[in-house]
Amino acid sequence: MKRDHISFIFRGARVDLAGFSPHATLLEWLRLNARATGTKEGCGEGDCGACTVVLARASDGALDLRPVNACILLMGQVDGAEILTVEDLAEGNTLHPIQQAMVDHHGSQCGFCTPGIVMSLFALQQSAQGPVTRPQVERALAGNLCRCTGYRPIVDAAMESCSGPAQDRFAAATALRLAALAEMTDSADVFVGTSTQFFAAPASEDALAALYLEHPDALILSGATDVGLWITKALQTPPKIIWLGRLRGAFTAIEAGDKALSLGAGLTLADASAPLITLHPDFAEIMRRFGSAQVRASGTIGGSLANGSPIGDIAPCLIALGAEIELRRGSDLRRLPLEAYFIAYKQQDRRSGEYLRRIIIPRPAPDRAFRAFKVSKRFDEDISAVLGAFHIGLAGRHVIFARIAFGGMAATPSRAPQAEMAAIGIDLDAPATWAEALTAITLDYAPIDDARASAGYRTLISRNLFLKTLMEISGIPAEITRISGFEVPHAAE
Amino acid sequence: MNERHGGGDWIGRSAARVEDQVLLRGGARFLDDIVMPDLAEATFVRSPLAHGVIRSINCDAARALPGVHAVYVFADLRRVLTQDAIPLALPAGGLRFDVDPTCLAIDEVCYVGEPVAIVVATTRRIAEDAAALVELDIEALPVVVDPVEGLQPGAPEARLTCPDNLVARTKVDYGDVEGAFEGAAHVVRETFRLNKGGGHPMEPRGVVARHDELTDQLTLWNSTQMPHRAKAMLVATLGLSERQVRVVTPEVGGGFGTKAVFHPEELATPAAALLLKRPIKWVEDRFESFTASIGEREQIWTVEAAFEADGRLRGIRGTLVYDHGAATPYGIALPFNAATNLIGPYILPAYRMLIDLCLTNKTPAAPTRGAGRPQGTFVMERLLDRMALRLALPRDEIRRRNMIAPGQMPYTIPVKQRDGSMMVYDSGDYPQSQALALKAAGWADFPQRQKAAREQGRFIGLGLANYVEATGRGPFESVSVSIGPSGQVVVSSGATAQGQGVKTMLAQVVAQVLDVAPQSIHVVVGDTSATPAGLGAYASRQAVTAGNAAFAAATLLANKAKIAAAELLEASVEDLVIREGVVEVKGVPGHGASLTQIARALAGTPGFALPGNLPPGLSAASDFMTSGLSYTNGCHLAEVEVDPDTGGVKILRYVVVHDCGRMINPMMVEGQILGGVIHGVGMTLFEWMRYDREGQPLTATLADYLLPTSDVAPRLEIHHLESPTPLNPLGVKGAAESGTIGAPATIVSAIEDALRPLDIRVTQLPVTPPQLRKLIRDAQSSELRP
Ligand SMILES: Cc1cc2nc3c(=O)[nH]c(=O)nc-3n(C[C@H](O)[C@H](O)[C@H](O)COP(=O)(O)OP(=O)(O)OC[C@H]3O[C@@H](n4cnc5c(N)ncnc54)[C@H](O)[C@@H]3O)c2cc1C
Ligand code: FES
Ligand code: FES
Repeated sequence: MKRDHISFIFRGARVDLAGFSPHATLLEWLRLNARATGTKEGCGEGDCGACTVVLARASDGALDLRPVNACILLMGQVDGAEILTVEDLAEGNTLHPIQQAMVDHHGSQCGFCTPGIVMSLFALQQSAQGPVTRPQVERALAGNLCRCTGYRPIVDAAMESCSGPAQDRFAAATALRLAALAEMTDSADVFVGTSTQFFAAPASEDALAALYLEHPDALILSGATDVGLWITKALQTPPKIIWLGRLRGAFTAIEAGDKALSLGAGLTLADASAPLITLHPDFAEIMRRFGSAQVRASGTIGGSLANGSPIGDIAPCLIALGAEIELRRGSDLRRLPLEAYFIAYKQQDRRSGEYLRRIIIPRPAPDRAFRAFKVSKRFDEDISAVLGAFHIGLAGRHVIFARIAFGGMAATPSRAPQAEMAAIGIDLDAPATWAEALTAITLDYAPIDDARASAGYRTLISRNLFLKTLMEISGIPAEITRISGFEVPHAAE
Repeated sequence: MNERHGGGDWIGRSAARVEDQVLLRGGARFLDDIVMPDLAEATFVRSPLAHGVIRSINCDAARALPGVHAVYVFADLRRVLTQDAIPLALPAGGLRFDVDPTCLAIDEVCYVGEPVAIVVATTRRIAEDAAALVELDIEALPVVVDPVEGLQPGAPEARLTCPDNLVARTKVDYGDVEGAFEGAAHVVRETFRLNKGGGHPMEPRGVVARHDELTDQLTLWNSTQMPHRAKAMLVATLGLSERQVRVVTPEVGGGFGTKAVFHPEELATPAAALLLKRPIKWVEDRFESFTASIGEREQIWTVEAAFEADGRLRGIRGTLVYDHGAATPYGIALPFNAATNLIGPYILPAYRMLIDLCLTNKTPAAPTRGAGRPQGTFVMERLLDRMALRLALPRDEIRRRNMIAPGQMPYTIPVKQRDGSMMVYDSGDYPQSQALALKAAGWADFPQRQKAAREQGRFIGLGLANYVEATGRGPFESVSVSIGPSGQVVVSSGATAQGQGVKTMLAQVVAQVLDVAPQSIHVVVGDTSATPAGLGAYASRQAVTAGNAAFAAATLLANKAKIAAAELLEASVEDLVIREGVVEVKGVPGHGASLTQIARALAGTPGFALPGNLPPGLSAASDFMTSGLSYTNGCHLAEVEVDPDTGGVKILRYVVVHDCGRMINPMMVEGQILGGVIHGVGMTLFEWMRYDREGQPLTATLADYLLPTSDVAPRLEIHHLESPTPLNPLGVKGAAESGTIGAPATIVSAIEDALRPLDIRVTQLPVTPPQLRKLIRDAQSSELRP
């Protein structure tokens, strides 16, 4: 079955849309076509959150509301969803409780960031199961910049209005929303456009594999948190787009085995967080600091590996754990170690018509320690200067195994072979035995200078992170100084 | 409620803002939300090089693209211009060259992002595609990136028309500076490098220009802080009369100085609209915000301070090199602010700062929240900390010993200001402000907490800084208040709003006099057709200037209403008060005439006399002319934790004691302080507009140039003192920049305190983790590492 349009709900009514360009963004559609100008553009690249809207979808019979950056989301990606914007919240003359709390706390000054902030908080409130905490609010707001208010009034407004479960008219209308969404649900392969210019969204992997073989020049689109920027900033106009967002089954499955965890490439970073944290608690912070709530709601784990970014946060962690990936082309499946996928700067071992399907991550054994650290200038929503992941095997107090990977240190995410070798035999109780390995790590990489960090700083940090790892696993409480490691409690609440 | 004259009690209340409803609903109309029939969209072709000579611009391919209306270069626009340059520069004696910008580059480009051509098309996308087709042939010239290097003999020229790069030289100079150093017990010396940052309002700049044939009027909707000045620029450059030009600000999404200066696009777009005879919209994208919008802050100071044996200042001298970028839209104001604000709340007997302003091939510099003052305060506070350390004096004590006492107010400093007057601090209790802040932050028992933390391997520190801020800069602001027969109170002002709550502030002041609800008052700001004269938002001035003008205008209106009511009620004027919008006889509630009734009576009835033979209409206008700057002051304390391994800094706590005289709306004052402090946090820890050796910007996205996010924002604790200024009837001072002024000095004081065992000295802003980590490594002693 094929469908030649996308379907979504806007302002309470179903919209079937065929006339849109494959690379049009949701923000363009809202502001220019629907003249819904409450949603703002502050940067067009996912950094400021002024364009935040909420997408509601049905997920396992429940309503799932997620904040997304409309500026880098392609229009076709709203298929099957309801779009909620700031204009939807107030009921007649009565502001929504979040809006009212923002007024009461003086959470809006110029008001330009306000619609996006309100929508981020709305997503938080709708998903909250109990009282919200300050760190939760900060997490929800990591992708929203405000230059006027200093944030405190906004956080206070959120603390007052975002505790769940929500009891507003949206919560009351959940069943109606689900019914409306269900009515749009089908298993059709979406294909909007012509054979030379189209937005396609196959509903099955078989359809995808076939379509991609037919159009190997098409651009694979997952969450668009990378691709969106090529369009808005690099002004590219990819004519053929195949979106993976309608795939289900293995492509979005979580298989949590005793020995290994398998994640479908299509899982959003938000959905992949919980299973990743079961591998090791350090993933909690890596995932919380990955972009913003908006980026994690759209971006996928597959996209974050497939793009081959040398500064991606997930790849080094998974390389250290010895992950493998599964690729599919037509009906051929192949597996390879994740590190082998990255050949050179932005060059990956991916054949024409092949896509990334699944990631298989062995669970660290009980006698193995794992640490991952992200170092960036700003705690939240900042690209890593350096990300180090350490997987260390111990026999008693001696290191017998080490797998170390870094991002931000080379043209691809990559391992530290010399340090791994030199680490064998380290005695945790004799810091003098650490020196060789610590020096080795500075020889493993030749990082570059850029505006984010100098080569010298990167080298130094790689060594310090290794030292921190050894200190922590040897029992010296180095956590206490981890400002970029653990949350420091707020002194004055 | 004022017993004698009636009126409300709105001043001093945290009233809900009149702006909020529409903003929260997403219904506010910002610039990019404006649409109209036939609206074309523009984009600019910009210089990709920091310095060069334009050899040719070929627009043929761009013009041929379907959907493109026009591509104009300077020569095209010149047909509707009366002169080449935009006459921007504020009069300043010290300027040696005329470097006013042009609306498009003529033959030389002097920074990456300088506009070279304007492309107009049916949509922005098409305009952008066409812009990519414009073939620019620019011959590269040597560049000046570093202002210190730019002033060396033999340095390349940043502009071919300026034989050297020293665009101005000025100084602040008083007292016996040599004597101060000769007899000094101690001298501290330091060099500081404070890097470039910007205002970065969340809404980028933008304009819509439309010329109406019928009325022969050019309207410019402009996301600006200064519409009247924009109008003056258009009148001057387009050869139009005042009647033919109207500048209107829609809702403006933040300014912070960025939108105070008239930028080239504000002329190029209306000029193109006149040529093309159709309305044009241009909205900046974020890359342009970083390259084409003014920034500020780059200053290099070499200073020394002479002290008595007991830590009292004898004198300060030094040099200040200021990076002016490629043009001088604000004359010498910024480094002058920096140099004079250095003095702060302290007694400085002798002072000489030699100021060199260097042209560089970077985006021009103009005021950014704080306008040079954070830098001056930073330098003074660092010097005091250095001296305290040397003398083993507590940091609060050295400040106490140097502070101006309340009994010395008004306190004159022999420095001449821009308007020719001396620098006079009007009011304030600086020692009390510091004492209150120390108490609130737990200064006394911090050493114990610090010791305990260090025993756990944690590095926490507490820092402090005091500062003043010159606010309420003149010369004037105008306000008119009128009530028509509908009863609607309308307030119009030359003031403008970018989020400060100016409308609420004016409504509260008028409500105070007329005893009506502020929410019922309609306030018009930022429209040149609503107020003949006005200045707008700069220098934390609008509560002072427009606030007092509104108070005077409302009072005039109230008096007129009373005279009319005296006739209508057959009472004597002295017996009348205004209560809830009704003029009534004191002590006889219910016996009165509402302002609406009076407005109707004063509207006139054909053939009948007006009550009291008054001039028609219930309205009044007033101008408030300043008689001097009013000085806001404050003390900040910050507690931070430093991660010595990564150089990361976390602000744990932040205390502000703030004195801006009488507060009209304390909630909004706090909003200004909060926003200002966070801007200062950004300036201290993250924000750094970087360029490479070729003058190419390295940090031109919000992913590379980091603004503070909510988790960075400390919990702020604000305490107020209210020392009313004698300089205006309301007793108010400005509050919009002071948060930013105090923050860098405070946070760095705390960082140095946290790392005291390593004796780290921060001399550069921002202190990003790599910067701080380098200082730590350079200083590292064995006690830190295993
Ligand atoms: C504001 C912002 C913040 C960010 N912060 C971070 C951060 O903190 N850490 C970090 O690591 N990254 C960050 N990123 C980068 C980006 O979000 C991630 O790399 C993201 O995970 C990409 O996933 P996606 O699904 O959006 O990919 P898309 O943009 O849809 O695609 C990215 C690339 O991968 C290809 N692709 C996607 N899926 C597949 C597949 N299954 N098979 C083959 N090819 C595929 C696409 O063709 C494209 O080339 C940030 C981005 C933004 C905009
Ligand atoms: S506009 Fe800034 S994130 Fe979308
Ligand atoms: S209120 Fe102005 S940016 Fe947030």
